[in-house]
Amino acid sequence: MAPRPYWKGYLKLSLVTCPVNMTPATSESEKVRFHTLNKETGNRVVSRYIDSVTGKPVKDEDEAKGYARGENDYVVLTDDDLDAVALDTVKTIDIEKFVAADSIEWVYLEKPHYLMPDDAVGNEAFAVIRDAMKADKVVGVSKLVIGRRERAVVLEPRDEGIVLWSLRFGDEVRPEENYFEDIDDEGDPDLVPLVQKLIKQKAARWSPEMASDPIQESLLKLIAEKKKALRSVKKSTRGKETATPASNVINIMDALKKSLADELKSKKAG
Amino acid sequence: MAGQRAQWKGFVKFGEVACGVALYTAASTSDRITFNTINTATGNRVNRVFVDSETEDPVPKEAQTKGFEIENGQYIIIDPEEVAATIPESNKTLEIEAFIPCSDIDDVYFDKPYYLTPSDRTGSDAFVALRDGMRKSNVAAIARTVLFRRMRTVLIRPHGKGLIATTLNFDYEVRSSKKAFEEMPKIKIEGEMLDLAKHIISTKKGEFDPATFDDRYEAALAELVKAKIEGKALPKRKKVEVSKPNDLLAALRQSAGMTKAADEKPKRTAANANAGTGRERAARGTAAKRPA
Repeated sequence: MAPRPYWKGYLKLSLVTCPVNMTPATSESEKVRFHTLNKETGNRVVSRYIDSVTGKPVKDEDEAKGYARGENDYVVLTDDDLDAVALDTVKTIDIEKFVAADSIEWVYLEKPHYLMPDDAVGNEAFAVIRDAMKADKVVGVSKLVIGRRERAVVLEPRDEGIVLWSLRFGDEVRPEENYFEDIDDEGDPDLVPLVQKLIKQKAARWSPEMASDPIQESLLKLIAEKKKALRSVKKSTRGKETATPASNVINIMDALKKSLADELKSKKAG
Repeated sequence: MAGQRAQWKGFVKFGEVACGVALYTAASTSDRITFNTINTATGNRVNRVFVDSETEDPVPKEAQTKGFEIENGQYIIIDPEEVAATIPESNKTLEIEAFIPCSDIDDVYFDKPYYLTPSDRTGSDAFVALRDGMRKSNVAAIARTVLFRRMRTVLIRPHGKGLIATTLNFDYEVRSSKKAFEEMPKIKIEGEMLDLAKHIISTKKGEFDPATFDDRYEAALAELVKAKIEGKALPKRKKVEVSKPNDLLAALRQSAGMTKAADEKPKRTAANANAGTGRERAARGTAAKRPA
């Protein structure tokens, strides 16, 4: 299920403009989704928004953003107000410059987003910008307001779309010289070829499997086993309410520990 | 390195070689403007509280625990401490599992960068040999370890005189670009349109140093707030005209034309700086009008 667009606006190259939308490339999703529960009652815990002075719940339509001028002195800003901030970069990505594809240091890459045409009318214009960047092996550099900051962004053509990277600010990246100054410039000429031999032995192609989460795998397996165990218990008691949370909890911990040990063992062997 | 504390200290292991390393945060997030949520009915700030979904009573942190839903609102309670207990003790080792070609790297997986340095003189030979070996072979290393109480995959690559270790997002946290773009029509641009676009790009080629970029948002927002306080009308955003498919070629020609004209303006050099006074140019102009 595609996420709802995070941002809608325009992509511009000189006099060519097309409507685009942007979605984050990463999500905070977890394979194993936990809910917060109240230990005392076993009920779900939910959040409510209340007035800090009266303690009463606040209606959705009464909620607004406030810019703090001073202690308890707020200027209310509506979404329309925020849209009116006098920067073109709120709504338009105007590509001002192109640089060699590998010239932006990775340490500056902050968050990736996927950029796509927002309307069929823009499909061709979008493709022109994308294909020209591909052909020339360049990436586009522009600016965009994201999360209440105007950031430098890099546009990287990829397959049919464009990946938009927000970049970190200069003061957000610590200078490497501070850390690397005492390291030797050159490696031992006898050691380096040996390292290269080892590299050949352990060469592999990238696969998303390399970024798998072994902990979540174990959790998922166990949850599946727990579900099965509960269902078979339910069948045998024929409709009687079964609630054995205490023993379930102890079993999970033991089983998790064991499967993790097994996982690590097989990884070491492999 | 004076004054900076390492986030993590341990070893990088490749084959039978281990060298002591220290890990330092390479990037931080600087402050930005935050807004408070206000109740427009009273002008007071809005607070968020956590309550029991049935009783509506607030639930203090100590009474909160995690559970997962098996079916129909039934939950199995798992104490957060038990989940934490599943994380193995860190063996403080970044064991390199594989070396992948740099061209294979999918940057969409990048999470946070860390500087890696040798933590003592004895290990630094191995460190430097690893760095140079990877650079010569044009590869990056994949290693796993328990970092900040989570099992992470890390990509290690040479950077200047040292190494950078970038934590990678888990596979399920990354939306595949193929999936994201699969609904898009497959349009291939060729011929004049492509050439025009490439020409426009060539006139805008340059270099970019992210460190020099300045953020104008805070100042622009302050202006807006000022206008609002003073009761002035807020500027309305101009409507953006999109290029219609039929006009695309014309727009490209015009854009390329604009940049061509900018290119062809005669450059003022020392040689031609005094080349023509107004009168001479006027004479040349009339001369040109005479039929050839």
